[in-house]
Order: sequence, then structure tokens, then C-alpha cells
Amino acid sequence: MTHMTSKRVRNGAKLTVLNLTFILLCLVTLVPILYALSVSLSGQGAALSGSLSFLPKNPTLGNYRAILVEKPFLLWLKNSLILSLGTIVVSMLCAVPAAYAASRWRFAGRRGMLHVLLVLNAFPQILSLFALFRVLKTMGMLNSHGGLMMIYAGSMCVFAIWNMKGYFDTIPIEIEEASKIDGAGDFQMIVRIVLPLAKPAIIVTCVMVLITVWNEYLFANTFLLNSQSYSLAGGLYQLQSNNYSRSWPLFTAASILASIPLLLIFFRIQKYMVSGLTAGGVKG
Amino acid sequence: MKKSIAFLLALILCLGTMVGCASKPEGGASSDGEPVTITIWHDGDEAIMQTIADQVNAQLAEDNITVAFEKKTGMPDQLKLYGNDPANGPDMYFYAHDVLGTFAAMDILAPLSDVIDESVLADALPMTLTAGQLDGTQYLLPVYFETLVFIYNKDLWKGDIPGTTEELYDYMVANTDTDAGTYAVVNQHTNAYNVSPFINGFGGYVLNEKGEAGLNDPKTIEAVTYNQKFGALQADGDYNTVTTLFNEGKAAAIIGGPWLTSGIEDAGINYGIVSLSDIKLPNGNGMAPYSGIQGAGVLKIALAEKKDAVAKVLTAMASPEVGIDLAHKSGCAPANSKSYEDEQVASNPMIAAIQKTASTAQPMPNIPEMNAMWSPAESLLTAVNKNGADVATAAAEAQAAAEQAIADMH
Amino acid sequence: MKRKMRTKPWLYCLPALLLIIIVIVCPIFYTGYISLTDMSMYHWTDYKVIGFSNYVRALFKFDSGFLSALLTTLVWTALNMVIQIVVGFFIALGLNTPGLKLKRLYKTLLIVPWAVPAYISILLWRVGMFNTEFGVLNKILTLLGTSKVDFLAGNVIAFCSCMVLNLWMALPFMISTIDGALQSIDRSFYESATLDGAGFWVKLKYVTIPHIRPIIAPAAVMTTFITFKQFDIIYLLTQQRGYMTGATLNTVITYAHQNAFVSNNYGLSSAVSMLLFVIIIFFSILTNRSLREE
Repeated sequence: MTHMTSKRVRNGAKLTVLNLTFILLCLVTLVPILYALSVSLSGQGAALSGSLSFLPKNPTLGNYRAILVEKPFLLWLKNSLILSLGTIVVSMLCAVPAAYAASRWRFAGRRGMLHVLLVLNAFPQILSLFALFRVLKTMGMLNSHGGLMMIYAGSMCVFAIWNMKGYFDTIPIEIEEASKIDGAGDFQMIVRIVLPLAKPAIIVTCVMVLITVWNEYLFANTFLLNSQSYSLAGGLYQLQSNNYSRSWPLFTAASILASIPLLLIFFRIQKYMVSGLTAGGVKG
Repeated sequence: MKKSIAFLLALILCLGTMVGCASKPEGGASSDGEPVTITIWHDGDEAIMQTIADQVNAQLAEDNITVAFEKKTGMPDQLKLYGNDPANGPDMYFYAHDVLGTFAAMDILAPLSDVIDESVLADALPMTLTAGQLDGTQYLLPVYFETLVFIYNKDLWKGDIPGTTEELYDYMVANTDTDAGTYAVVNQHTNAYNVSPFINGFGGYVLNEKGEAGLNDPKTIEAVTYNQKFGALQADGDYNTVTTLFNEGKAAAIIGGPWLTSGIEDAGINYGIVSLSDIKLPNGNGMAPYSGIQGAGVLKIALAEKKDAVAKVLTAMASPEVGIDLAHKSGCAPANSKSYEDEQVASNPMIAAIQKTASTAQPMPNIPEMNAMWSPAESLLTAVNKNGADVATAAAEAQAAAEQAIADMH
Repeated sequence: MKRKMRTKPWLYCLPALLLIIIVIVCPIFYTGYISLTDMSMYHWTDYKVIGFSNYVRALFKFDSGFLSALLTTLVWTALNMVIQIVVGFFIALGLNTPGLKLKRLYKTLLIVPWAVPAYISILLWRVGMFNTEFGVLNKILTLLGTSKVDFLAGNVIAFCSCMVLNLWMALPFMISTIDGALQSIDRSFYESATLDGAGFWVKLKYVTIPHIRPIIAPAAVMTTFITFKQFDIIYLLTQQRGYMTGATLNTVITYAHQNAFVSNNYGLSSAVSMLLFVIIIFFSILTNRSLREE
């Protein structure tokens, strides 16, 4: 009995220490975000000054209102959503069949292909900005969301193939064979059996694509030419780049608004995150 | 089944947007009064561009011509890509004159004489015209010009503004407390443009007319060495830091330009302006900043279909009314000499200070080599002012980097 | 049947390969072509093939400055990866302690930085954290009575500042990955180890680590590439034009950018890009050895 109590006390103490550590860790992590929140709630004048206080003196939602009403924030949000959705569709349509083939069939050139893809992935795209411009120009896809979707999908394709191939590897082939006996074709089988089973990996891959598209500003700024078609990241980059000391509270408000959609998605998919990102690696 | 339908719908939606976005609305050619839109790219203050657009559009309403200013971050880099792309590029651009050389070398600019008659430029101040020329060809229509000036907070500054840099320095030593975060004078001391009042005033140069870098010219070294003690009392020299310090009343004065005034007025600062020419360096010269001439250039690709409309836009931009509006609303110094007949323009303190500074100021070089100079010059200033590097060594390194960059251009 | 199996897999891969060829391979080949021409602002449209002379000039860019940039990049990548994995591992381990009731809340809060777009994070840190006048860090230092520190001025301190920011941005992904890996370990492994009398460290060494290593390997390799290629953090934090902070820190990519891209000589900068690509391939092959497939 006493043994049990002391163990419980020790466990309790351990948990208290752990809790304190995590509270501290969370606070440290959130400092920049709390800072941004505080600036975004303060009036135009008192943006960067003041002592070390995270409570703005005269809190106001004026900056958020200004962003939502005066700036084309909602338009940019819509553009970002279109771009993300389009990129996800294109990249998944391309990557799922390839990942399936690489996982299920041992064909000549398979290993070579997978490795070449990985090496290609190492080329820093910032160096090919000019070349990509020429590619898009040749294809007549400058200043279009379609061109950007293609670039984003292409650059995420390698990751998507590798990540999903890994997950497909973990799905026992017997399940597929059973459905084949029922007379289902390859396409039907993938849609009906494999995709539902691979749901976590697919969701997580989609989210990784989404994050990339949501964050990317260099290509968005170079290949989109009018403010009506900017993505959120591209538009915000334009907003801050000139004289931003004046619009710093606006900028922080916009940053927070831009982050919220991704946060909401993270909350929704947390349970898939666990397996989707990692089960792929089981076979290495 | 439901899912695959949703999938299909999403796909159709995407394809739809691709097609939708690929087609760009374009103001067609017109002589018969069809509406024409002239697109102008810029990377400046949106309020200033709006002022120009309003005035020009009002003047050209009957011709059915509208100008649309489109802000492009990093405009010069964008123009390199789109400058010869008739489908996506702009018709004109609006920027300072120092990038002229690069665009002219790329052969994407049309000489103004191809579009408008010389008489349109007759009223422009000679200094603003020459800055927009390369080898005698006029490429830039000057609209307004700017120089650095000395802006001070009347509620914080004690006594008169010193007439010499040495007195200014003494004032700075007495009134700066870096740990408390209060400053006498702030300046972007790592930016070559902002240190140019010293460099030019000492007789040094960043780049001469022959396209040679002058970062280790003895006079330049002397100027950079002299500026060092000022830099030490001017916070970190970041644009964001120094403007915020001034706008929040933590710095009593700032070396800056008309682009700062709207922020300063929003912050409710009671400010005064002094010309840098009135502050003398130890050698007796007034401080001599660079002057920048802001204006419009025409892209060759616009001429095929929109030549007449572009000519009308240029003519409207050159009118004294544009200059007067800019002076009233944003304190810009008009390039058109006729604008100064307006009483308010003549009495505007910012414009008066800029005009006075123009007497000692030097136009920024506009040859292509300038493009490669900003970065090495800034490296030199950061090394000296932030890391306490030996000026001569740092200057030799920066000079070598600049020479290499210039050599790499060909 | 056998014939069918030779073409069918490639048919499945075709859309992906096509996309990758357009977006990744074409630009590489085009860059290779431009590197053989004299394209510059003086020959913007009338450029012609001039052979390999750009490569001769480009080789001079790979001087001592490049070597030190390469060294910086390697140290940067190695340090970031080690710290990321170790710290991520212990945080994830802590999260998985039985009885930790607020686990979900902690985890959610810890991954918040992931949702902030990258350059916004960088700007937020440059002005909000590191700035000498307004930065939170310097405000704390002032409160503690010490003098201000310019976190981005010197090379060493700027390197550390960049690394802290990179960790802030990258740790959420690592924590999620390792947390997932830890949860996939069957509890019975631990139970039998406990019965054998194994303590915390022994279990860590013989159960936890061997089990999660293969699981996190792909994520670790992907992150290694991203860290190696990292451009935004160092560029935007210390060397953006008009905002140079005094650090002369360079990775291979910022070095190439600084030395080959400012002169608008596209032939030369393309040659530098191609040589850089060869170097990156070399390092990625080294890294790939750790990612053995099958």
C-alpha cells in the first residue's frame, strides 16, 4: 500500500514537472504569435513601441476590419483556396497512380525512377525561376492560376509519390486480390479499396501540398500580374514590402487571418497526421 | 460515388478557373473612341500613383483613355521578365531614373522622341531632364524629384538646427541614450543612398560616369570613415527601425525624404524641414545627397497598338497640374517648372528644402553599372558601421566585389 | 501478360512523369542551354551559343568564399537536423507520457508555428524578436538590466538566430512525425521490457529508438533537403538589399545568388546554377545512402 502511494506521489511529481515544462515550452513557442496578436490589436500609432507588454493599451479590432473591408483580403483568400484545391487535384491525379505502380509492381527502371525523382527534388527551384518563366511563357500560361497550379503540383509531386508509395506498401496485397476475384478492374479497385484504406496518407499528403501553396510567394508574385488574381501569400508580400512600418499593425492582422485557415485544418486532421505521415516509413 | 462526383466537380471548377484566368482583359486599339487602358507598373507609394492617375484620367476622360497603375514588388526584376512580352507586360513604367540604364541596355524602352514632340518637355527643369537621358536620348519623362532632407521634431529638438556636421555630432553625443532607446538623429547609415550626402560632399563617388566603381577612392574612404561616428549613434540603421523611432517621438530628427511625410503626419508629429545643403561638412561643402527623378518610361511593346494613347498619357503627365496635385497631396517637388507658379507649391516647406538641396545634390548615376553597385556599397557600410571593420580593408574588398560584378555584366 | 506488365506501370506513372518533366526537368535543361549562351542584358533577345566559356568564368565563383559557404551550409544542415530530431524526439516522448491529460492541448499549441506562412514568420522574427529597438528579446534584456544585443550583426550570433528561427518553423513537423512514430509502437514491447527490469534509458535505447528510426527516416531525409536548400531565412533575415545586418553568413545558395545573379548575366548565372546542381546531386547521393529502399 505504502509502496503504491509513494509510486503515485512520484508519478504525480513527475507529471507536475512535465506539465510545467510543457506550459513553459508552449509559452516560448507562442511568444512571436502573441506579439503579432498584440500588435494587430493596437492602434496605428502605438505599433512597435511600449514596454514589454502583450496587452495593447487601447485594443481595437480596427486593423482586422480594415484588412477584411479595405484590402482585397477575401479575394486573395478565394484565390488561395482555388489555387490550393486545384494544385491538390492535379498533384493527386498524377501522384496516386504513380505511387500505386511503384508500390505494387516490380518493373524495370522502377528503383532508378524513384531515385532520380529524389535527386531532381534536390534542385533548388529558386535557381530555375527564369527558366520556369520561359516554360510558362511558351505554354501561354503566364498570369494564370493554371500555370501556378502546374508548377506547385510538379514541385510537390515527388514528395507525394514517395509519401503515398510508402503507405501503399503497408496495405496487404491480399485485400486487393480478393476484390480482383470479384471481377473489379484496376481503376475500380484503386478507387474502392486502396484509396479508402490509404485515407490518412492521402489526407496528410494533401495537407502538405496545401501548406506549400498557402505559403509560397516568390512564384505567385512573379507569375501573377494583377492584384485581382494574387494569392494570399503573394498579396501579403506586396502589402508589406513597401513602407510597411506604416502598415505593420495591418500586416500582423493579415498574417493572423492568413494563418487561421491552416490552423483549423490542422485541428481537423490531427488524428490522421499520426499515421498518414509516418506509416509510410515502416518499410523504409 | 458521391465522392467521385465531388472530385469531378472540383476538377471542372479548376479547369474553369484556369481558362478564366488565362484570358486577360485588354483595352483594344482605338482611334475611333473605343476605351483604351494604359497599364503602368510601379513600386512606389500607392497614394502618389493614385494622385497621378486621378489627374491624368480626368484630363483624358474625353479621349476615353484610362491609366491603370499596378504595383509590382521588385518592379525592375519583373520588368526584365515582362518588358518584351506584349501579352503580359505593361505599356509604361513609373520608377526612379537609376534603373534606366539596365532597361535601355535590354533594348525594351522606346525613346520619348518616338512618341511625343519635344515641346511636351519644354517646361521640365533641366536637371530632371538630363537624369532621364542616356547618351543624349531622352527615355524618362520626369514627373517629380526627391532628395534626402533633414526632418526634425519641433517638440523634441532643443535650440536651432546646427549649421555644421561637427555641431550636429556634438548635439547627437549630448542627446543620445542608446540603452534608453532615445536618439538625436537617425539615418539609414548602412544604405549607400542615405550615406551619399557624406560621400558626395567629400568629393568621393560610388560610381563615376565612366562606369568605374569608386568605393576605395581616398575621398570615399574619408567620407565613410567620417560617417562612422554618426552611424554609431543612429540605432541599427534599418529603414523600419529609424522611421518608427522618429514617428514615435524617440528620435528627434531623421534624414529622410518626402516619402516619410504621410507616416509622420499620421503619427501626429510637429515637424520641421531643413535642407541638407545648409549643413556643412568639415571641408566647407554642404551635404550633397543623391537626387532621384521619378518619372515614366515607355516600353517598345506598347507602341504597336497604343502609340497615340501613350502620347496623350505622357502629355497629361507632363502637365503642370499633375505636379501641383502631387505637391499638394504628397509634398513631392514637381519636375515641371510651371507648377511652381502655384503659390502653395512655392511655399511648401518640404518642396523648398528639396529644391534648395538640389543645388548641391547629384543625380544618381543611371548607367547599367549602377544596378551592380548598391549591394557592394551597402556591404562596405555595414561592415564599417555595424561590425567595426577597418575602413580601408573593407573598402578594398567592396571595390573588388563591385569590379567583379561590373565585369560579370558582359 | 508479361508484356503488359512492362508498359502498364509506366502508363500509370506517365501523368506524374510528364508533370515533373515540364516543371523540373525542362527548366534544368533550359538553364543548361542558357549557360552555353551569352545571354545578358546586352544580348537580351539576340543571344547566341558561345560554348563553355561561361563555365570557365563560373569556376572562379567557386573560390574560397564558396568553400566557406559550403562549410556553413553543411554545418547549418547537420546542426539543424540533429537538434531538430533530438529536441523533437524528447518533446514527443514527453507528450506520450502516460497520464499527461493535456497532451492534445500542448501538441496543438506547439504546432501553431507551422500554420504561419514562412516569410511572415521570418519578418515577424526580424522585427518583433530580433530588432534592437523594438524586439521582444531586447526588451527582455533591457528589463534584466543588460545592454542591447544586435542578434543579426555578427556571423556567429546571426547563425544562431537563423537557426533558432529555423527550429521554430521546422520543429512542429518533426514533433508531429515523431509523435506519430511513437504511437505506432506496440505497448507490449514496453511491458515485456519492464518485466525484464529495464529502466527508462534502456527502454529508450533498445525499444523506442530502433522502432521509430525507420519510420521517421523519410521525413528526416525530406527535411534535410529542405534545410540544405534553405534560402529565405538567411536571405530575408540578414542580407536583403536595404536591410543588410552586417553578418556575412552565406549558404551555397545565397552565395550563388549574391555573386552571380546581381549582374543580370543570365549565361553566367545559369552556368553557376548548373555547377551548383552537380554539387547538390553529389551531396544528395551521399544522403540517399541513408535512405535504402527495400
